[in-house]
Amino acid sequence: MSGVGGEGAEVPEVIKPIANLVKEVDVMKPGRVVAVIEPEDVPKAYAALRDHYGETGLYFSTLVATDLKDEGRFRIDYYVNVLAKNQYVVLRTHVPRDNPKLPSILPETPAALPGECEAYDVLGIVFEGNPHLRRAFFVPEEVAEKGIFPLRKDAGV
Amino acid sequence: MADTNVKPDKVVEIPLSTVEIPVGPQHPAVHEPILIKVYAEGEQVVRAEAHTGYNHRGIEKLAEKKSFYQDIFLCGRVCGICNSVHADCYVRALERILDKDPPPRAKYLRTLVMELERLHSHMLVLAVTAEIVGFDTLFMHMMRDRELIMKAKEIVTGNRVLADYIMVGGVRRDLNSEKVDKLKKILSKVEPAIKHYQKVYEEDVTLRKRLVGVGVISPAEVTTHGLLGPVARASNIPTDARFHDAYDAYAEVPFRVITRKECDCWGRSMVRFEESFVSIEICRYILNHLPQGEAVPDERRLPRRFPEGEAFTTVEAPRGELTYYVMSKGGISPYRVKIRTPSYNNIINTVPFYVGHTIADVPTILASYDPCISCMERAVIVDLRRGGRRVVSLRDLARGVA
Repeated sequence: MSGVGGEGAEVPEVIKPIANLVKEVDVMKPGRVVAVIEPEDVPKAYAALRDHYGETGLYFSTLVATDLKDEGRFRIDYYVNVLAKNQYVVLRTHVPRDNPKLPSILPETPAALPGECEAYDVLGIVFEGNPHLRRAFFVPEEVAEKGIFPLRKDAGV
Repeated sequence: MADTNVKPDKVVEIPLSTVEIPVGPQHPAVHEPILIKVYAEGEQVVRAEAHTGYNHRGIEKLAEKKSFYQDIFLCGRVCGICNSVHADCYVRALERILDKDPPPRAKYLRTLVMELERLHSHMLVLAVTAEIVGFDTLFMHMMRDRELIMKAKEIVTGNRVLADYIMVGGVRRDLNSEKVDKLKKILSKVEPAIKHYQKVYEEDVTLRKRLVGVGVISPAEVTTHGLLGPVARASNIPTDARFHDAYDAYAEVPFRVITRKECDCWGRSMVRFEESFVSIEICRYILNHLPQGEAVPDERRLPRRFPEGEAFTTVEAPRGELTYYVMSKGGISPYRVKIRTPSYNNIINTVPFYVGHTIADVPTILASYDPCISCMERAVIVDLRRGGRRVVSLRDLARGVA
């Protein structure tokens, strides 16, 4: 698998360190660079960015998981604030709705802990390697006990 | 304090030298419902856990059910203290989706309200820190002077606390020259008062003893744990969304990003003091350089249906960077709204840093993060770094906590 990096010019400067992993580049308003990558590459991509910009050159800001029911998949966006470049990078990946699993980036940054736990609790996305995933993290226990993931579009909440 | 000298032979079945102490959810030192469960050996904390969830309201799901415009009021109610920054961040995401830019006067007025909010929020947490340390008189004095800022906010927005001031394409009320004069007077009263309080913080022996060197977080720990706002800036990480994103009028208004190198509770307090002065300067600049023109748009001309699109906006709330992600699939309601408040990162991710301090330091350290519990959601966290001596299952923790 080769990324868009091989084709050269179109990869924005800020995501050059992960050019070989990027499948597609997009821009989210206002001016956030979106790098679409494979789910299994997420920890690698974050580690590559961190190694390039240094530990104090960036921080993991937030994780946004969205249920794209019509496309049959979940979309997971990792927002990384690259302080060194004064720019936001969005690592975007997709997992199928019927088997929502991807590796956790917790070993790379402890800042992802609440984001991953929340995404598991409200959408049922499993981050493999995160030992702290549990239901009723956010969701009230009576909802969690019924096995409902409230932010899924077909949850009926 | 709990008895830590229990001899092993008296508790044959469960030989514990570790004592479990719940701080909260209702506790004199904690002003909002949160439970910091600390495990102590003697006076020293060996493990800590944060349990929240006493304020969970399901706002993200509710936002999907309401219209784009109704959500402005919903987002304003995520937090009472920093309601304008929430509304501003959400509204700017909508404006990006609509490709609509508010007029310059409206941008300046939004900035003015958000800076007044930062001012009273910083005064509040500095007062609360003094109270937790045991300096109640300072708390009373600061809260009295904070009321002046609340009055200023009322003059601008019409409301003392919940402003509901920001709307798509502008703001709800304009300022006239009479109000501008009143605001300037208030600022000139507040500035010397805050200077005095800073001096008290710098010179008072008790405050220094309780704050200096307590709750130290290194710069690398700040970024790896995703800490934000004054907590990060007190550890010399110059993160400030006003500077990174230059939203609203921040691209035109001159201001400094305050950083300190102390990395401790005292450094965080000093960052807040210095930022208060920066806020006063920004307010003064805005009042002196308010652009002419319209600030209040005609609500009837705003589009009811939104085009497809997504936007990710950030704002520097008093507690740090607040982010909103809004996704529209067309229609009248958002498809997804994701709110990430600064307290969410600052409280949950700092739990390991209580370890090694004394029990009496726990509320002080918590206050130095400026916890806003309404902003957070529901969580149960275990210390990532090291386990305590006593193993308690997560289920037991969730259910058995008094």
